[in-house]
Amino acid sequence: MDRRSFLKAGAGAALAPAVLTGKVSAQEAVIRFGGSVPMTGPAAETGLNVKFGYDCAVKFINEQMGGVDIGGKKYRVSLNLFDDASDPARATSLIQKQVDEGVSFFLGSFGSNIVLPTCAITEAAGRIMVQAGGGSDLIFTQGRRRVFGLFPRASRQFASTTAMFKTLQPQPQSIMFIYTNDAFSKVAGEGAKKEVETAGFKTFDSITLPAQVSDVTDALGTVRAANPDVLVCSTHDQVSILIARQMVATNTNVKALFQTLGPQTAAYREALGKYANGVMGASYWDENAAYKGAIFGSAKDFATYYRANFKRELTYHMASGAGCIVAYLEAMKKAGTVTDRNAIRDALASLDLETFYGRIKFTAQGDGDPVLLGPMVIQRQKNQVTVVYPKEAASAPVIYPAPAWQDRT
Amino acid sequence: MLVLQTALNGLVLGGVYSLAAVGFSLIFGALGIVNLTHGIFVICGAYASMMLFHGLSVDPFFATIPVAFVFFFVGYVYQRYLIQLAVSRASLVASLLVTFGVALIARNLLQLGFSPDVRTITPSYSFSSLVIGGLRVDMVRLIGVGVSLVLLSLMALLLAKTAFGRRIRATAQQPLAANLSGVNVPHVFGQTFGLGAAFAAAAGAVLGIVQPFSPSAEEFWTLNAFIVVVLGGVGSPSGALLGGILLGLISSFTAQYVGPSFTNAVMFLVLVVMLLVRPHGLLGSAFGESR
Repeated sequence: MDRRSFLKAGAGAALAPAVLTGKVSAQEAVIRFGGSVPMTGPAAETGLNVKFGYDCAVKFINEQMGGVDIGGKKYRVSLNLFDDASDPARATSLIQKQVDEGVSFFLGSFGSNIVLPTCAITEAAGRIMVQAGGGSDLIFTQGRRRVFGLFPRASRQFASTTAMFKTLQPQPQSIMFIYTNDAFSKVAGEGAKKEVETAGFKTFDSITLPAQVSDVTDALGTVRAANPDVLVCSTHDQVSILIARQMVATNTNVKALFQTLGPQTAAYREALGKYANGVMGASYWDENAAYKGAIFGSAKDFATYYRANFKRELTYHMASGAGCIVAYLEAMKKAGTVTDRNAIRDALASLDLETFYGRIKFTAQGDGDPVLLGPMVIQRQKNQVTVVYPKEAASAPVIYPAPAWQDRT
Repeated sequence: MLVLQTALNGLVLGGVYSLAAVGFSLIFGALGIVNLTHGIFVICGAYASMMLFHGLSVDPFFATIPVAFVFFFVGYVYQRYLIQLAVSRASLVASLLVTFGVALIARNLLQLGFSPDVRTITPSYSFSSLVIGGLRVDMVRLIGVGVSLVLLSLMALLLAKTAFGRRIRATAQQPLAANLSGVNVPHVFGQTFGLGAAFAAAAGAVLGIVQPFSPSAEEFWTLNAFIVVVLGGVGSPSGALLGGILLGLISSFTAQYVGPSFTNAVMFLVLVVMLLVRPHGLLGSAFGESR
């Protein structure tokens, strides 16, 4: 083969997949969702959970439903997600590139520090973002009209937990807060503190940790000196594990330890073993909840389908990721279009629909309705994640006060 | 009592930081290479220790020996056949780019191999603590400091008392003179890098029980080592120990008396002041005098 033939053959081989893809795309109506997710970097553990939720929804809709009917036409869905490596700068470049390429509908990354700058880009370009990875108040209070979040804004996420504290017997008298200095945890921690103070609980000066922490020995010294009944940590997985491990090692006991992120994960269970039992956290979805919708069926059906098709341990992040796509498709059905962004935006804003994830309804600012989409309180009991509040969703009563670390089994 | 507890926390933390930084310090001091792969060696050590613990029930403290042994060879090959090649074809600055690139690749490979999930090593004593006269110290950190002191002493002895150590010092101070005296300089450079990598990985084996880790944690350990070296001085175990302890005390006292959120700010403030006042660190460069 001479050089010219080699180059011709090579070019032909290189172009073949593109030509083939173009042919397939031309035959099928596809709704494409763009976005970035932390598949690597510090936020990757939860980022991957959200991504698996997106993947699960797409697989189910395409393979089980054969697509979705919108305006009398059948559409398949596809994902165009990239790894933002937990880096806001990289995420903004990726999202801008997709905006320039004409992507209309975006799914969110994980972490308010990433969602905040990326949703500013999509909003400015008139595109829509539905996300389940950014809860910071700033996402929803800067006048954006096309950004929707499945979670309530951070400062409103603690209402149900405060209500649960009120039901505890004996009622806790004092609550202390630890949070990391990042866009979500700080706002959530400060909002939570305001919430419990309004409910009449005594609080202490909060402990603010840097975003990346390697040691909390001194912070725990402050906790021991204050001796609160409840310690609330508004922290991400890795820091939550570090705090809990060092609490056990330094015998820092409180009647209740509540950590926003961490107790839901397999890594937490593996890191703490029996000491994880008794720790409380938040969960936005439970497979035993009595919700059902047109896509996936019931919450239980979603869990069954997910486990049959994916190996990664199921957490509520998978459900919320899938919930974003369900919200999009239900809004498109309601609007009867997959191209009119304004109509789809209006349909999302007025959405009030029961799905496998719960009743999806957004506030006027775009965050999740704090009552309908607010968190349940979970507690690790007998090595399982158990819903303990609200009562109607609870599968076991809360264990309070939690046993001292050395007495945990 | 609070001051004593804070000082103790700082010393213990500092001991752990020292161990994690000594490999970086040796490579920087002897070869002049800012090894941005340092954190990767630390994290690889933690993963290797985790595999030995879960697969063969080897205690992480004993795992330091095989882990260090393996990473000595990894470091040797890496220096001889990649870094040295880049340095000889360009300049010492090329090593910065090479180690940065390799760190990025290695981090992604670790994420492919082990997933980005947070991992921990949890031997039976992970959750114990020691109380002496009202002062409490976390057992794993205390043992970590013990291992740190043992390994730092071993390195100090190796550098000061053995023929191998003399060769390292000679090539670090005057490579040409060492070469003229019959020392195989490229080979010793490789061995020195291997030794640095071995210590970094051994530190990782211990750090795996001290705190949770994931591939992305490598950046933290590289940065930390850099600060330790700037504070204490390059090339010597005593410099790493002093820098580590200083860093630990600064972190601990800032966290206790100013606020935990200010630890990084104060740490970098001290770093900047140190670079202005004493750019070679408190103990200076162990090999710099005759360079």
